[in-house]
Amino acid sequence: MGAVEVLLEFMHSELVDYVTESSKKGDLSTLEYAGFISGYRIIERLTKDWPRFKDELETLKFICTDFWTSIYKKQIDNLRTNHQGVYVLQDNAFRFLSRISSGSQYLEMAPKYVSFTCGLLRGALANLGINCLVTAEIQPMPTCKFHIQVQQKTV
Amino acid sequence: MPVHNLYIFNRYGTLLYYTEWNRLKHSGITLEEEAKLMYGMLFSIKSFVAKISPLDIKKGFLCYKTNKYTLNYFETPTGLKFILNTDVGAQNVRDLLQQMYSQVYIEYVVKNPIINLNEPIKSELFKQKLDTFIKQYPVFNNNLKSL
Repeated sequence: MGAVEVLLEFMHSELVDYVTESSKKGDLSTLEYAGFISGYRIIERLTKDWPRFKDELETLKFICTDFWTSIYKKQIDNLRTNHQGVYVLQDNAFRFLSRISSGSQYLEMAPKYVSFTCGLLRGALANLGINCLVTAEIQPMPTCKFHIQVQQKTV
Repeated sequence: MPVHNLYIFNRYGTLLYYTEWNRLKHSGITLEEEAKLMYGMLFSIKSFVAKISPLDIKKGFLCYKTNKYTLNYFETPTGLKFILNTDVGAQNVRDLLQQMYSQVYIEYVVKNPIINLNEPIKSELFKQKLDTFIKQYPVFNNNLKSL
């Protein structure tokens, strides 16, 4: 891995540190918001050569493959859906967690390192016209599941 | 078995990590004291080697041997020190230490944001990766050659 790629990791961990140090304990919304803005902007650039997506599932597939590869250098390992607006994206070796632990050690620290990515997903989807809630579930590390709950469109 | 134990010190002489695989004889003092003695000795050897050398030194102190074991010393430009005690017959230990530094220490200590770089390493993942790293190396199992 070249130095350029490590830079993202180091910047990210410093961002996490900075945000969690300066805000009150357990408040990760700033981090999530930074992710949201980044995601919202980056998706504009990543989809510039793409036709429009057919439907929601198509969009999510794009997120799992191209989007994830360009940021985390790997694809999402598993995508599941109930076809009612709930999607579960599972990454078995999530990049921000893969160096931290491979079990339950440091588990209490893990949420800090996934909330930026939750925002990133939410921002990317928001710019593709899908409003949603993104939450993450970690057990055990470095596996991470992102739950995406699409908000019903108001008619 | 040829690999006995490993010490990792930082630039300031703090013992970051210690582990042993096949240590037959213990020093009878606490690990803390032993680490201080070890670091002190290495510090002295280093400056001695630099002073006594008839030529310009490039790599400096690399190892010493007794008739029972070899102490292999590897220092990075940032001052990290890896000390691995092996059997006298063990070969390519320098490469091993170099790789241990780049493949295990960098990956699982430097890239782990939770670890403070100047404190002893408590990460289970590092311990586990280090163990598999050492055990896959021929030096670890290959004791026929060294006998």
